[in-house]
Amino acid sequence: MSGFTISRRTMLAGSAMLLASTAMPTLGRAQTPKKGGRLVLAADSEPRNLNPAIVASNGVFFISSKIVETLAEASFDGKDGLAPRLAVSWEGAADGLSATFKLREGVKWHDGKPFTSADVAFSALQIWKPLQNLGRTVFKDLSAVDTPDDLTAVFKFAKPTPFQLIRNALPALSSVVPKHIYEVGKIEDNPANTAPIGTGPFKFGEYKAGQYYRLTKNTDYWGKDEPNLDEIIYQVLPDRTSAASALEAEEIQLAAFSAVPLADLDRISKVPGLKVISKGYEGLTYQLVVEINHRRKELADVKVRQAIAHAIDKDFVVKTVFLGYAATATGPVPKNDPQFYTSDVPTYAFDVAKANALLDEAGYNKGADGNRFSLKLLPAPYFNETKQFGDYLRQALAAIGIDAQLVNNDSAAHIKAVYTDHAFDLAVGPPVFRGDPAISTTILVQSGIPDGVPFSNQGGYKNGALDALIAKASETLDTSARTDLYKEFQKQVATDLPLINVAEWSFISVASDKVGNIANNPRWAVSNWADTYLES
Amino acid sequence: MSGLRRFLHTPEAVAGVVILAALFAMALSASLLFPGDPQSIAGPALLPPFQDWSLPLGTDRLGRNVLAELFHGARTSLAVGLAAAAAALAVGAVIGTLAGFAGGLIDEVLMRITDAFQTVPGFLLALAFVSVVGPSLGVVVVAIALSTWTGPARVARAEVLSIRERDYVAGARVIGMHPLAIAFREVLPNALPPVLALSSVIVAAAILTEAALSFLGLGDPNRVTWGGMIAEGRTVLRTAPFLSIVPGIALVLTVLGVYLAGEGIVETTAVKRGLS
Amino acid sequence: MTRALTLIRRRLVGSIFVLLIVVVGTFLLLEAAPGDAVDAYIVSTGGDAGMIELLRHRWGLDQSELTRLANYLWALLHLDLGQSVTFSRPIREIILERLPNTLLLMVSATALSFGLGSALGIYAGARPGSFRDRFLSIGSLALYAVPGFWLGLVLIVIFAVDLRWLPIGGIETLASDKTGLARAADIGVHLALPVAALGFIYLALYLRMMRAGMAEAWRQDFILAARARGLSRRRIVLAHVARNALLPLVTMLGLQSAQMLGGSVVIESVFSVPGLGRLAQEAVAARDTPLLLGIILVSAVLVILINLVVDIAYAFLDPRVGASEERA
Repeated sequence: MSGFTISRRTMLAGSAMLLASTAMPTLGRAQTPKKGGRLVLAADSEPRNLNPAIVASNGVFFISSKIVETLAEASFDGKDGLAPRLAVSWEGAADGLSATFKLREGVKWHDGKPFTSADVAFSALQIWKPLQNLGRTVFKDLSAVDTPDDLTAVFKFAKPTPFQLIRNALPALSSVVPKHIYEVGKIEDNPANTAPIGTGPFKFGEYKAGQYYRLTKNTDYWGKDEPNLDEIIYQVLPDRTSAASALEAEEIQLAAFSAVPLADLDRISKVPGLKVISKGYEGLTYQLVVEINHRRKELADVKVRQAIAHAIDKDFVVKTVFLGYAATATGPVPKNDPQFYTSDVPTYAFDVAKANALLDEAGYNKGADGNRFSLKLLPAPYFNETKQFGDYLRQALAAIGIDAQLVNNDSAAHIKAVYTDHAFDLAVGPPVFRGDPAISTTILVQSGIPDGVPFSNQGGYKNGALDALIAKASETLDTSARTDLYKEFQKQVATDLPLINVAEWSFISVASDKVGNIANNPRWAVSNWADTYLES
Repeated sequence: MSGLRRFLHTPEAVAGVVILAALFAMALSASLLFPGDPQSIAGPALLPPFQDWSLPLGTDRLGRNVLAELFHGARTSLAVGLAAAAAALAVGAVIGTLAGFAGGLIDEVLMRITDAFQTVPGFLLALAFVSVVGPSLGVVVVAIALSTWTGPARVARAEVLSIRERDYVAGARVIGMHPLAIAFREVLPNALPPVLALSSVIVAAAILTEAALSFLGLGDPNRVTWGGMIAEGRTVLRTAPFLSIVPGIALVLTVLGVYLAGEGIVETTAVKRGLS
Repeated sequence: MTRALTLIRRRLVGSIFVLLIVVVGTFLLLEAAPGDAVDAYIVSTGGDAGMIELLRHRWGLDQSELTRLANYLWALLHLDLGQSVTFSRPIREIILERLPNTLLLMVSATALSFGLGSALGIYAGARPGSFRDRFLSIGSLALYAVPGFWLGLVLIVIFAVDLRWLPIGGIETLASDKTGLARAADIGVHLALPVAALGFIYLALYLRMMRAGMAEAWRQDFILAARARGLSRRRIVLAHVARNALLPLVTMLGLQSAQMLGGSVVIESVFSVPGLGRLAQEAVAARDTPLLLGIILVSAVLVILINLVVDIAYAFLDPRVGASEERA
């Protein structure tokens, strides 16, 4: 396991660790997994709707991915970064109008009924396309799903749809739920949304609100000799400091999604019997972004935006806010993305003098109090790190004569203020990169998005050339041409700075030494854990 | 024995006053000793205390000077406590006086409103109010006042009920003074001392409530408060315990100081009134 | 007996107005909040404009405030607390699930602070001005001045992590299938730390009230008379001084019940206790108006009932109360 365990020092040494980790081969230690046992882990929130076909979010996947499976899962070494799950192979037509999936044989739902292509067709047409938060965008042109036989599903698109996008969307967007359960009554009110039924290695056991979720072993699972664990229990620990205490007291064996605060990792890595693991989240990269309201006359000036970019010491942010568990960003695609990332973009070195000069040049001179103008800064409250970066940014802006007042909202108020009311000048947001810029990245800068849509361009930024580029990429079928367009996209965003990308980070797991087969795929925390085991 | 001498003879009261004086000195000298923004980054992050004498109490998660934060925090914490207590006492005294003096329907309505505020857990009310309006120092003060004004209102009403039948009030009525003038010029000042006795409790509760709100992420990020420092330090309770212990000690001393001094004053005045 | 019945009747009538003020006030407060339940929900999911509109419609948030308030009150009249938007379950069910935990926590913590507080208060007040009097009085104050969450965290580090005597939180061992006495013992072990954290905070209150009441009682004539009769000091302290000082503490119990419920918000969060306080905090964050209304309503009813019981007890103990109640 030592290959995965990292100390803070090695982290600091290689700040490009996010980049390196994808290339790292899976360490196939010849450890025989033990059978049985109960894995107890920390959960900091309680998703009410556990149907991943409707709610494609990490909070839901964390629990439901063990119960409901997708067509394919992300993989370190599989072709196109994928490993088969419910689908065994997939192929897109050259005209972009269809995609064919061959499905796995002998798979059964938890209630004993057989899994067939009808379930895939139902999930795609009745749930992913009309109801799913992300699927509504990606599958918007899906017109039909043909089922020539029980193990073949052919997706038909009304308009040419790049197969690269569909493929990249599979791990997060393609959760298959049983047709026979969902075809009765309204899908949104189905009891299986809170007690999901799937094909996965674990069955939903029980949920005690405020206490725990219990998953139990599916003895009829299609994977040979899997799963290893008898039970998984998610213990609800609402306070940020509880997970570390619970690990040390040996009440839980795993805390994923950075449930242990970063500042505590150095200490906890020295606790005997516990290990700190930063692998297993490569497919879940969060981006630290300064969102800009272009309706403010000062911020509409690209010189001011450049000045702000120069005022931010990205290395300091990575080192102090993230304690090294992050990488500096150059643009809207994270460095660790194997398909689209390009480093060939304009960069903004930390240079306070240059930032001041740019602001002088733009005509915003310092007043008697040393300030050029005042701003309202809204850091998103969802992560400790976004809040701390807000504190830092306020200081960084003070250094160039911009007086920023922090506004501390709770989540609902923040969403409303930024994405509906546009009552901000600068905001700090943590958008997620989901493996393809078309899923949730281009909307961060695209114009014409209606008010109220979260995690989209609500800063009033409008750039015809960039919009045209995004539109062209969305209908380009050829993979390499499409990739090139997104490289150009990164260049244009980094040049005009509709928003400022500061850093990219992912999560950290802390686990007991007894837990085996951790972090063996890029979305490990939200994968099915069929091979995870517990040494007695 | 005069009130002051009596006061000075109570060691607790003297200790309370000394602590409070030190706090006020800290609050007043904060800008002189630590000019500039106390939240500016002054050194490496999480520097332990007594390592670097330019940063005697070390630094926090972002490298801010803990000693500077402590001094500036004295200012905000005291301001929050005093402002919230002043607001609660003012609102409580006015409503209590009106209810007690007017009687009848006005009394009934005001007291039912007071009941309503008293039945809702105060902290829950403050929590909901701050989430709704958004955490800034002013809002936190109002929220605390909202959850504490009922005590003073009840005490004021009870006092007023006993005062309004007294001779000088009847006299004022006879000479044709406006009822509101009687209520606020004649009755309220006499009803005030027992109401003011509650102030130390409210100041202490206000400082603690602010800390608890910060713990739930509802503090004002533009200002340093001790509560906010403790709340932030708790995530590194094991790694850097000084970050929550230093402001914690300051908080305990303040609340103790406020209480002891307050109690000294109450006892002194109570004895004086008893003698007269 | 009739006096107690009159008291109960008057209180219940008044309570209806109080509850109405509480409900309407809470509703208006939450309506004024920036962001609604959908805004709170999409934080973790994202989604496009169509999906957001769909959700607002499904959760009835596209109706006007007045309609929703009227609907709520109408349902309430039928003793229906409505449906939680975030849990998609009946609110009555959710509250009944959490209420026992909070009650258990509150009752135990009150018993601890009242019992230990008044006992120590008697001990301290038996010799006013002595060292033990000052030490206990200031020591309990210092405890009162520690923020509850911090006290809780320190207790966890000492007793759960370092010594491992007690669990770090929760209400019982997860999915343990324990029943009967074994389960009761299990719950007791889990509640030990949160009860201590919550109880110690309010210890000072009862200790100091008891002590002050005793100091007052020492000056009373009948104590002098008792002394003159040559009763033992212990007997005077327990039978006369302490007994007289106890009455105001009983009133305080009623007044304090609402505060204790507020204090449990933070304690339940630190110790992961699935109780009403934490639920209320979650309801505020999720902008789940009907759920928060339900919780506040239930806690208000609880507070009113506790105070009623305290007052009735008081009416029997002290004949003057009935008269003043008539006047008010």
